[in-house]
Order: sequence, then structure tokens, then C-alpha cells
Amino acid sequence: MNTKSISLTLEIWRQKDSKSKGDFETYSLENISTGMSFLEMLDVLNETLTGRGLDPVAFDHDCREGICGMCGAVINGIAHGPEPETTLCQLHMRHFNDGDTLVIEPFRSRAFPIHKDLVTDRSALDRIIQAGGYVSVNTGGTPDGNTIPIPSATAELSMDAAACIGCGACIASCPNGAAMLFTGAKISQLSLLPQGQPERKQRAMAMVTTMDKEGFGNCTNERECEAVCPKGISITNIARMNREFVKAAMLG
Amino acid sequence: MWFIRFIQSSIGKKWVMACSGFFLILFLCSHAAGNATLFSSVALFQAYANQLHSHPLIVSVFSKGLFLVFAIHIVTGSLLFLQNRKARSQGYRIHKRAIKNSQASATMIYSGIILLLFVLLHTYAVSFGNHGTIGATITRLFSSFFVSMFYIISFIGLAIHLSHGFWSMLQTFGINHPTYNSLIQRLSYIIPLFFLLIFGSIPLLFLFGTGQ
Repeated sequence: MNTKSISLTLEIWRQKDSKSKGDFETYSLENISTGMSFLEMLDVLNETLTGRGLDPVAFDHDCREGICGMCGAVINGIAHGPEPETTLCQLHMRHFNDGDTLVIEPFRSRAFPIHKDLVTDRSALDRIIQAGGYVSVNTGGTPDGNTIPIPSATAELSMDAAACIGCGACIASCPNGAAMLFTGAKISQLSLLPQGQPERKQRAMAMVTTMDKEGFGNCTNERECEAVCPKGISITNIARMNREFVKAAMLG
Repeated sequence: MWFIRFIQSSIGKKWVMACSGFFLILFLCSHAAGNATLFSSVALFQAYANQLHSHPLIVSVFSKGLFLVFAIHIVTGSLLFLQNRKARSQGYRIHKRAIKNSQASATMIYSGIILLLFVLLHTYAVSFGNHGTIGATITRLFSSFFVSMFYIISFIGLAIHLSHGFWSMLQTFGINHPTYNSLIQRLSYIIPLFFLLIFGSIPLLFLFGTGQ
């Protein structure tokens, strides 16, 4: 692939710590290879900033291959940037043009306090998982593989939901700051499978209750979450969660 | 009590919106059926109204029930709007939607306010006070260009509200299945257009002098 060099103007949200009031700062970058990923472009910026004795831009990242869910920022109003089904680390600079201005903002929601710059505290999602996103497994001898029959289509649906990496883009992009796509995916992946049946009702109740307690908003079916999800999680999972929760609440 | 806890939860409130919305759609169906007599003649419409009001108990139960459903839909909707604004306490500098055709879903509260205003003015104009017979009242109302326009604009608001509301109701009920999704997709255009056609053509009928 042919790589070019482009120049960019970056307007990045800078915030010293969770208590400070943040603001945008403007940086110019030249000679950015279009073969770079978005995070590599930020690495280059941070090297320049460090070289000049300035505080580098804090951002979350880990695997840089789109599977860990650590990275994420809102680029020109879209979570994880303009490419569909792409995490920020897998977004390449070839999708931008020479002279572009990129406004880079952290994932925002009442339930996601900002630690520093682009780093947000997404531990509310961990607490939703802790409330019920697990199955209990008995100890004992190793069971034979494939002893529990699961239809292939069901396994696929469960796997589609399990593709969620918990990055929080759904919440960041939701006009209501709701966490229904995340929670719906996590409830779905287990409730579809036989192994998830013992805790099925208790799981739906506990996870939805925790989600509400953490300060996420209410879903109004605007579908924005599905559009930005880097793993293409469908809102069918929200419909399934609605059924699971109502069944659990009404029929105990 | 489980029910209180249920309706206090985020999904419970969605359910309250969807259930009350469902009853309001049923009301629209019966209202549209009654109004359709106007396509025949004002006299037939008047006869239908007289017949309906000869059963005061039915009218009383249904109108009070309808008021209650409206109140629940409006109160819950406003509560959701305010709670959601708080949950999205800090917005973005660049406000952009990733999904296309989000106008109806993003403006439910505003189309809802237009409808509330319409319902208040409409019930004031036709139900309260001494205006003479209902047939005479609507003939007089729709002889005004501005009143007719106000009705038609409100019906467009209704169609926009329903275009998101109908699909959203089914999604909340958990009805989202590949076998039915294309049908639901089509119905979320057909149902709003149906009501727009039935309700909207009545002021037009009078405006162009063909109503009698």
C-alpha cells in the first residue's frame, strides 16, 4: 500500500485530573505517515510534547489489535472515529486527509468520570459484570467436551454477543448515556447458553439493577450504540435483555 | 413491591412508555374509524357521535381511562427526558450522529410537546363548553384555514412521533427478530402514513368545500 505523509491539526481535550476543569488545546503535527494507526499518531505527538518538556496526552491503550477494549476516544463527534466496526487502535491515518482538523474528546457519560485527558474511569462496567456476568461451575473431574448439546445457531448468537470488548463506545455515543447495549450483550451471551441457565433470572435482575445504580441513562432506542460499536453488536441484544428482565421481574 | 421496583428501573420505564403508547395507538385506531364516517357525510358522523354519547357510562370510562394513559405516557416521557439529560451531563464539542435517519428518535420529546398542545386545544375546541353539535363545531373549525393548517401540522407531528414510537415500542417489548424485522420496518412507515392520511384528509375535505 502506498503511504503518504499528511499534516494535521489536533484539538485535544486536556484535563489535569478528575477534579480539574479541562479545556481543548491545539497541536499541529506534520509528516504523519498514513500507514500509522491513530494511537501511533498520538505516540508521535507525545514524543514531541515530551521532547519539549510538556506533559504528554494521557490515553488508554493495551493490545493495539482491536480486541482488548482499552482504547477509545471521540473523533470529530464519532466514538472510535469515522470507520465502522473499528477500534481507535485499528483506525489508520489513511482515512484522513492532509490538512484535516481532528477534535479528540474523551468518552463521556455521567457514569464515566474523567481521570486525565482522554482517560476515563469505566469501572462502572466492571461492577455490572461483577453483579451477574458469570456462570457457576462445579468442581470435579474434567467433563468430556461437547457433552452439552448446543445448536450451532444459538452458539453463534451467543458468540456475536460475546464479541463485546467492553470499550464503552456505546455509552459514550448514546444521547442518553445509557449502557444497554453493553449490559444487553453481557446478559445475552450467557442467557442463550445452557451453562447460563441456573443464574438466568438472578443475572438479569442484578445486572440491570447495578446498571441503573451506576448512573447510566435510560435507553430510548436511538440505535446510536449499534452504529459505533467496534464489534458490530446488534440491538437485538437489548431486545433480549428487555425480555429477560421483564420475565425475571414479573415471574421471579 | 415488585411492581414499584420494576417501573422505577430503566427497562420498567421503557415498558411503561411502550404499554401506554400501545393503548394510545389503539385509541388512534378507534378515533380514526369514527372520523372515517366524515368521508360519507357530516350527518352520518353526527349520528355516530349521538349513538356513542347515548352510552354515557362507556364514554365516561373510556375518556377517563384515556386521560390516565395520556398522563402516564406524558409524565414518564418527561421523566425519562430529564433523567437522560442528566446522565449525559457533559456533551461533546462536535455533536454528530453515526446513524442515519435519527431525526424522529432524537426529537420524540418535541413532537410529543406538539401533540400535547394539539390534544389540549383539540379537546378544548370540541369537547368542552357549549359549541352546539359536534358536526356543526367541526364544520365551523375547519372552515378556518389556520385551524385546518394547525391540525394538519399536528398530524405530521403525530406521524413523525409514531414513525419512531411504533418500532421503539416493539423493540422495548423485545420483539426484534430477523423473520419479522422487515415487516416491522415497513409498518413503521405504513402506520404513521395511514393515520396521517385518515386524519389529515378531514380538514382538507372541509377546506376544499367537499365536506358536507
